[in-house]
Amino acid sequence: MNAALHYDLIIIGAGPAGMSAAIYASKNDMTVLVLDDQPAGGGQVYRHVMQNAAAQNKAQFLGSDYWSGHKLADEFTRSSASLWPESRVWQITKEREVFFSQKGKAHRAQAGAILIATGAMERPMPITGWTLPGVMTIGAAQTMLKTSHSGVDGALFVGSGPLFYLTIWQYLNAGFDIKAVIDTAPGKMSLLHYFWALPALLQPSMLIKGLKWRSEIRRKTHYISGATAVSISGDSQAEALSFTDASGKQHRLEAEHIFLHQGVVPSINLTMATELEHRWCPRQLCWHPKTDIFGESSVQQIFVAGDGMGIAGAAAAISSGKIAAMRITAKARGTSSLNAVFQMVRQVQKMAIRPFLDYAFKPADEWLVPHDENAIICRCESLTKADITKAITLGVSGPNQLKSFSRAGMGRCQGRMCGLTIQKMITDHNSQSDDKTGYYRLRPPIRPLTVGELAALADDTPTS
Amino acid sequence: MTPQHHKDRVIIIGGGIQGCAAAYFLAKRGQTVTLLEKDNIARHASGVNAGGVRRLGRDLAEIPLSLAAMDIWNHLSDEIGDAAMAFHPSFYVKVAIDEPGHIAGMARAEALQQAGFQHEVWLDETEIRKRIPCLARNISAKNMAGGEISGGLVVEGDGWAIPWRIVRGFADAAVRNGATITEHCHVESLKRQNNMWQIHTNAGDFEADIVVNCAGAWAADLARQSGEPDLPLTAYAPMLAVTERRPQILNAVMGILGHTLSLKQLDTGQFVIGGGVRADADIHQNEAGLSIPELATSMYRAAQLFPDIAHAKIIRCWSGIEGYMPDNLPVIGRGNQDGLVHGFGFSAHGFQLGPAVGEALADLVMGQQPRTSLAAFSPQRFSA
Ligand SMILES: Cc1cc2nc3c(=O)[nH]c(=O)nc-3n(C[C@H](O)[C@H](O)[C@H](O)COP(=O)(O)OP(=O)(O)OC[C@H]3O[C@@H](n4cnc5c(N)ncnc54)[C@H](O)[C@@H]3O)c2cc1C
Repeated sequence: MNAALHYDLIIIGAGPAGMSAAIYASKNDMTVLVLDDQPAGGGQVYRHVMQNAAAQNKAQFLGSDYWSGHKLADEFTRSSASLWPESRVWQITKEREVFFSQKGKAHRAQAGAILIATGAMERPMPITGWTLPGVMTIGAAQTMLKTSHSGVDGALFVGSGPLFYLTIWQYLNAGFDIKAVIDTAPGKMSLLHYFWALPALLQPSMLIKGLKWRSEIRRKTHYISGATAVSISGDSQAEALSFTDASGKQHRLEAEHIFLHQGVVPSINLTMATELEHRWCPRQLCWHPKTDIFGESSVQQIFVAGDGMGIAGAAAAISSGKIAAMRITAKARGTSSLNAVFQMVRQVQKMAIRPFLDYAFKPADEWLVPHDENAIICRCESLTKADITKAITLGVSGPNQLKSFSRAGMGRCQGRMCGLTIQKMITDHNSQSDDKTGYYRLRPPIRPLTVGELAALADDTPTS
Repeated sequence: MTPQHHKDRVIIIGGGIQGCAAAYFLAKRGQTVTLLEKDNIARHASGVNAGGVRRLGRDLAEIPLSLAAMDIWNHLSDEIGDAAMAFHPSFYVKVAIDEPGHIAGMARAEALQQAGFQHEVWLDETEIRKRIPCLARNISAKNMAGGEISGGLVVEGDGWAIPWRIVRGFADAAVRNGATITEHCHVESLKRQNNMWQIHTNAGDFEADIVVNCAGAWAADLARQSGEPDLPLTAYAPMLAVTERRPQILNAVMGILGHTLSLKQLDTGQFVIGGGVRADADIHQNEAGLSIPELATSMYRAAQLFPDIAHAKIIRCWSGIEGYMPDNLPVIGRGNQDGLVHGFGFSAHGFQLGPAVGEALADLVMGQQPRTSLAAFSPQRFSA
């Protein structure tokens, strides 16, 4: 076994939260290790920003928000924090040991404090045909745009949410031809939307940007709003998309490339597998790790920051990463955390738009659980809605029991793709609260690791 | 929930394989029996174990019971119907990869012959390779002398099962024969009064002539609470890992003589790897620990036998709460008090025994002579 590495702070995830925490902590003389499975810092939102900046032909089409990340990433790169890229963290313990693999080798590191900044993942949108080749998420389309400036002409975009509009806008900017945009957000705003739009006025630039994207998309693409009953057909590949528009008219559009999106949710695999306490957030329809105001979780010295603690966007993530780092540093020194409290005041403004966005783009029930009995829910085990319903009616109280009844959630993705859908199906069937239903009991390794990688940690002395 | 009062002749505590098999055999013989389980059927060790249906390597004292169990496994569909398809018989091999292993294996084969048992035999290297062609030519050994496969112990007809399905099979068969199974029913206390057991649970009170204690890792606490002497049961959480699907290369369940490994490939192509490594368990919190780095040795061994396994991705690790006795033999027999029968402490090898234990517990309840001697498993063996 390799000798254990030791750091004051180990940060998992080099997105905005992780990078800003690393900058602050390393500036304040903490030894910092940052682990990320990408080849460089940036996270989802600023993915590839350092590489793009170094390249000859600058990808200006990604927009000023994206490029604002360059300064942060650059400062992070210059900081004394060490980044181990392409590292997959598969277990952390309450004693703050971090286990990860890098290039086929497993490592162990000990931390004084851990900051989990693993961000968000796209909420799966399980509609009929979502598993067909040719169907991707908006996030995947955006990743291609950022890393290789590539995309496809003639694609359909289906869904809603800030990332949905941003990516389409970037796609248009990059010069790709879009066949149609099918917006699933309800066409009209309710009273609640207007109410929450008030604090959102604290972030006028965000509101204006959003409106600008949307109006440009309406102008430049074939745009249809209020879509329901969406399904994808095709034999071995996506061929067409069917849906009903707001006026009740049915449509069928042919396309080989279809991009889906229904908002983002915190990536909870690591926080759950570490057995931190979580609570269900009915407004965002996802689990949040329970933390104090600084981001410290139910386990001492394990912190969470950024979208991984609740969806709040990049600006708020930068701020929450810094707050956590200030608190961690202050605790290590035994000094006051007042600066973190001041930072929090600024943080509030950066989140003002959130409730409005949460309500405006809250996915309707039909995007959470498909109507179609034959729609696949668990991709790894190829289980349809009918299969899951059958297992639920045998009388299960939660997702864990359902595992044994149906094998749902037992595949490679460890429930990332089906967890929230199955939770909702059980909640609805049993007429119980989401907290009562609970989520899959996630256990390490939260990232697949090979037998060989783990074997490399074996003690040299044979056991008997 | 309003407290209810039920009167039964037999109450079984614990819905693992032992409790469910006992419920089945008692119901089949016409007894009025109710099983109480604090969580779900097969929620603990019985539902999450490695599914090894193994006679190989059993303690001499356990062999008759294990053989009796195998008789039932071999005709399992007669008892539990279609659920029996979750049993996949093949063969079990423990190979020798070094000299101590070789010597121990030969000695074991010899001892079994002398004791009159024929099921476990020594096969030489050529025979083993014929049966398992994908076995590595050279065992790469970091630091061990030898590193050659020299043969191994084999039992024909051992295999593996999907444990959860088997236990559910016994539970369903028990219900079909008239037993009552109540889940989410936690026995909080147990008292003998007026020749009857008074059983207090979170879901009402029960009364019974006879109580069968199949409460797994929790059984000693329950026994003590009822007024039995202390029994030295300790809880641990044996750990397992399962990989992604891979091409089929292994049709046997495998181990290594003198080293901890249990390796099998399921019909899905997934490898299940573990053996002997265990984390802490907390019976009061219902918590089974998991420490993946400790599984490293098992991974190392598995990749030694089949180098290709090194490339397989581990997609899940888990553990289950199991009760261990100091001599690694279970407790099966009558308690000190009237109307109390114990069946627990299976020390990480109780799944295969389950069907025979269920039958033996039914015999004890009904005052009949069990098929095999239970002397070695007496609850009284620890009292000075
Ligand atoms: C990871 C692992 C791998 C294993 N591999 C193998 C193998 O390959 N082959 C093999 O033969 N064996 C194996 N074993 C061992 C085997 O699983 C156990 O010996 C066997 O399942 C024990 O069965 P049981 O019914 O006694 O216990 P359990 O399955 O633990 O059942 C006891 C039940 O009692 C319930 N209970 C406890 N207290 C109360 C109460 N007060 N009121 C109501 N209910 C209560 C519990 O909730 C539990 O469900 C393995 C075990 C583990 C954990």
